[in-house]
Amino acid sequence: MSGTDKDQAGGSAFVPSRRTVLVLGAAAASTVVTVRPALAQAAGSVMNCEIPVPGPHAGGQYIAADGNLVAPGTAGAAPPLPRALKGEEVKALLRNGTTPAGTDPTSAQAYANYIRRLQSGMSGFTCYASLQARP
Amino acid sequence: MRHRLDIQIGPVAFRIGSAWKAPLDALEHLYASYPAPEDGLADFTVRLEPERPWRRFIRPSVAIKGDYVLADAAPVSLAHGLLAAEMGMNLQMALGQKRYLLLHAATVEKDGRALIMTGESGAGKSTLAALLGERGWRLMGDEFALLDMASGRLLPFPRAVSLKNKAIAVMEAEVAANRFGPRLDGTPKGAIRHMRPNADAIARMGEGATPALILFPRFGEAEAVRGVGAAEVFMRLTQASTNYVALGREGFDALNRLIAANPALAIDYPDTDSAVGMVEDFWRARAA
Amino acid sequence: MAGPLYIADNEGAVLTVALDGLSVLFHQPSGMTHIVAPPAPEILAALQAGPADAPELLRRLRALYDFEGDEAEDALHARLDELEAAGLVRRA
Repeated sequence: MSGTDKDQAGGSAFVPSRRTVLVLGAAAASTVVTVRPALAQAAGSVMNCEIPVPGPHAGGQYIAADGNLVAPGTAGAAPPLPRALKGEEVKALLRNGTTPAGTDPTSAQAYANYIRRLQSGMSGFTCYASLQARP
Repeated sequence: MRHRLDIQIGPVAFRIGSAWKAPLDALEHLYASYPAPEDGLADFTVRLEPERPWRRFIRPSVAIKGDYVLADAAPVSLAHGLLAAEMGMNLQMALGQKRYLLLHAATVEKDGRALIMTGESGAGKSTLAALLGERGWRLMGDEFALLDMASGRLLPFPRAVSLKNKAIAVMEAEVAANRFGPRLDGTPKGAIRHMRPNADAIARMGEGATPALILFPRFGEAEAVRGVGAAEVFMRLTQASTNYVALGREGFDALNRLIAANPALAIDYPDTDSAVGMVEDFWRARAA
Repeated sequence: MAGPLYIADNEGAVLTVALDGLSVLFHQPSGMTHIVAPPAPEILAALQAGPADAPELLRRLRALYDFEGDEAEDALHARLDELEAAGLVRRA
């Protein structure tokens, strides 16, 4: 660093003549990443998992286009799936929009959004979390 | 349970119970010559149970249970019972292991130093490790690397190598037929065949090694290599660890020591021979 | 109108290791690990002098560093939001 030596009480101090620029970053930037528990990579060798759509808590409710649960028969809402989706099917659905076998293509988006909204503690969450980091 | 098998793998003793005999027969053959746990004590238990009582007989379906379970795990057909047992052991380690920092990585050893290969599933690290294990290296494990946090040493965990699809033929060409389990087709990952590590790996399963090099291999690209910065290594290793967060400060310190002490490279390779060549080159360069 | 006062834990509560341009932080009270880029470590250091609102924090940082561009306050708010979400900074 360039600068001048200055004598000060108690000893000399080196004062830089150019200060460091601190980049505060754009408002939308991300500068803090928290390390989360990661079952994902190991889960690939661990699980052959399933996600029920919707989970048992839904009690027959239908799934709206945005993934929320709504009253059965609501116009535009998708019916519950009779079988749970396998991990690979969910991956294809979320990545490519591939409709799972035996399901209605117009409902695929609703099912995908339901899965994306799964929270910890809900049936299928661990499966969903394990699919996230896999190729 | 009706049938039971105890196996010692590195520092971990498993007890596998099963409602059916067939999966344990296959497991016993795959782990032939592995020691039984001392004093008959198990660290983890896996149980292969019928999904419903009648599923023991009708369209038999194996639910993977044990000390640790995953609520969303789908049952496995009895024909794939061996795979269920292996997945069960993986699950116990992934969820229950607290003594060692676990990295999802393949490790091989030469001259007391260890090479750690880690990355996404399908990157080819299992195959690479298995091949190196037949070419003068000792296979320490293909799935989990066990880091002793106090000493910084890696401990062996030589489970049967899980070979998938094309990798099966690669190893069938190198290794005697009696070291393989049955070929399992139609799994969610395609075809799987398990391979027992060689006698040297089994005999030395109590012998650790000091890490020396961290590799992030990627299969399917032209040969290329780049150094990986420490922050990126830290990020990727935490993503490859199922128990990092649970281990708190000890894990933080141990991971930082591992990264500070060892170079890390990302390599792309078009085929396994090229990868083995690159590994041998880097290893020589590191030791020089 | 006064904005919120921000507080960071005492430096001793956070273990920091610098790794090629980023820092990894172990926050002992929570047991969580965070991978952070500048200006996060600088903000945490600036809060060691005591609680501060955003304008005061900006003053403390200006004493040590130069900023580029005009959007320092917006950017600082964004950084403080991130640090708060991570549990490294909290409101008094």
